[in-house]
Amino acid sequence: MKISTRGRYGLRLLVDIAEQDIDAPVALATVAKRQHLSEKYLQQVALLLTRGGVLVSVKGSGGGYSLAKRPEDILMYDVLDLLEGNIAFEEDPPASETAVQRVIRHHFYRPIDRNVRTAFGTLNLADVLQADCFSDET
Amino acid sequence: MVYLSTSKDLVSIRAISEATGISSGYLEQLMIPLRRAGLVTSQRGVQGGYTIAREKITCYDVLLASEGVFTPTPCKDCDQTSICKTHRIWALLENAVLDYAKNVYIEDLAGHLLEDRKGGGM
Repeated sequence: MKISTRGRYGLRLLVDIAEQDIDAPVALATVAKRQHLSEKYLQQVALLLTRGGVLVSVKGSGGGYSLAKRPEDILMYDVLDLLEGNIAFEEDPPASETAVQRVIRHHFYRPIDRNVRTAFGTLNLADVLQADCFSDET
Repeated sequence: MVYLSTSKDLVSIRAISEATGISSGYLEQLMIPLRRAGLVTSQRGVQGGYTIAREKITCYDVLLASEGVFTPTPCKDCDQTSICKTHRIWALLENAVLDYAKNVYIEDLAGHLLEDRKGGGM
């Protein structure tokens, strides 16, 4: 499993937007400057997050993006899954799946996916903003 | 590795290939790092083949030997770790995968395979 730039930049975009003034939409140009990311690329990621119902776009001058929901209601697991398409290790079995492949899929990849989901739990954007949610990690 | 651990005898590449659906050529390549890591032993010759080198090999051992270190993102070498709030999300993800893989032994999976064989009447 490799998380692509889409997943990584997407999360930074969300964190950045969430940290700005809640009343005004955030222009991607300002995010690009703060985060040292390409605005063009951020546009693509923002579009994906808008389609997924995480961001709303406001057109016109003074326009930009705002969170579509409260940070508490934006789950990190869901956002990653949305940005990456699918973050599961388990894949659809091939037509010619052997017994060995099936055992590994059922008893290794599937529980790993479950473990990842459990580890993320209800971790949401508000938790990430506080950043001390990880203090019990070590 | 799971298939190997169900057999006490040397297993040929062809037999492994049939059981796992992995091509012989790819298996030959895969065996190089696994042998180097001391996870399989091999014997050359007509009756040659591979066996699992020891017990208590974890899935983590196998993945580390064949794939290298698991890092879902290149963030480890990033110098902005102190200001980037997303950084620790990746650590969370990495640990969730590694902690699990370190706790699954090849023989656990082989046990499931043998159970399946019994159940399937093979």
